[in-house]
Amino acid sequence: MRYSYFIPFLILVPVIIFQSVFVPLISFDNIAPDLILLLLVYYTINNNQFFGMSAGFIFGGICDLIFGTILGSMMVTKTISGFIAGYFSSENKRDIYLSNLNFTLIILLVSFIDNTIFSFFSSFDLSSNFIVNMFVKNIANSIYTAFVGLLFISIIPKRRTFE
Amino acid sequence: MKFLYHLWQNFREYAFLIVLVIISLYLISINTSPQIQKLRAMIFSTFAVVNSFFNDTIDSENLKEEVENLRLTNAELMLQLSRLRKDMILIDNLKNSLSLKDTFKFKLISSQIISRFNNLNQETITINDGKKNGVEIGMPVINDRGLVGVVFSVSDNYAIIKTLRNSDLNLTVKSEKTGEQGVLKWKSGNLRIINVPKTYQIKKGDRIVISELSTIVPVIVPVGYANSIENIEKGIFNEIIVNTLVDFNNLEYVFIVPIVASKEVRNLELNFLKKLQ
Repeated sequence: MRYSYFIPFLILVPVIIFQSVFVPLISFDNIAPDLILLLLVYYTINNNQFFGMSAGFIFGGICDLIFGTILGSMMVTKTISGFIAGYFSSENKRDIYLSNLNFTLIILLVSFIDNTIFSFFSSFDLSSNFIVNMFVKNIANSIYTAFVGLLFISIIPKRRTFE
Repeated sequence: MKFLYHLWQNFREYAFLIVLVIISLYLISINTSPQIQKLRAMIFSTFAVVNSFFNDTIDSENLKEEVENLRLTNAELMLQLSRLRKDMILIDNLKNSLSLKDTFKFKLISSQIISRFNNLNQETITINDGKKNGVEIGMPVINDRGLVGVVFSVSDNYAIIKTLRNSDLNLTVKSEKTGEQGVLKWKSGNLRIINVPKTYQIKKGDRIVISELSTIVPVIVPVGYANSIENIEKGIFNEIIVNTLVDFNNLEYVFIVPIVASKEVRNLELNFLKKLQ
């Protein structure tokens, strides 16, 4: 049993506090970085796809209960995000994927998919305005999350990860 | 057997994903069950204690600025009060002459926001008052400007509020000027009155308030101003974009109106049935 599997779950608690107390201070018009997604993607790349899906499922469930969103909506989005991030968890290429640029692009991709699926589950509407607005806002949200991801990966020592 | 083993080896990630997604979808379907509500109240109240501590730390730093703002607000309120006092005397006289009762006798519960979940469609806030302070699910939440949202989940000491920027919250509103009714909903990143007939006379700048017909918010409180009308060219109905009076980005304190619409209606209906029997 690898104890390192439990570390993200311990880090999740302060990250949720940060997300709910400090992140609103740096959000603009409901566009805010998703630190929970950052944590999920980082540890999925460092582990494997199964870990990503399981962690996403648990992270999502906890967030649904704490933030008051529809129970299951974040579970499904974070599970799928963990699944997608799992494709970048190859042991041989881990260092490449954790480089500044690649990690930022991975976050951008996963965050966009995460936001889109969550919008779909939280307010289902297929009018053209909705799609355009959601698309624009989802992109803005993803870019913000990716930018924070870039800062995050820049300050983490390359050799020694949180394992 | 070998075939099944190979199949499992090749597709186990997908199988695992499907199982987790099915569980999530099942949970979405039982989202409003009492057991889930109980579990939610238990978990978020535990977490709210920690959030409350950090929020207090931030608050002490912003205190100086806040005191200054409050002084300014006090001065403005003092000017308003003197004008309102004059109007009150007139209203009392009119009420007496019409024999009407005062309908607004609620003792508001003052609360501080301790955490917030910003999302494009489902904004929620957590406040530091719960069942012990008289907060119940369904109570309307206001601030000095207008309606903030509705209490969604309650524990002993904390409560979660669904704000107007939550797509789950649909409210019946009306134009104060024309009296035309509509359903207010957070949609596509804006607060909108949806399915508005094209014959409606609501114009830009009209004040939007909660309707007397609302089964969720039983008090008439302002919500915002009509900003623009959409979907004019196409479709059967228009949509009116509403600018909220409440500044959700700088919201720190709220007041809970201690009344639950459904309970009031239920009691009335029961009384009516009793009379019939």
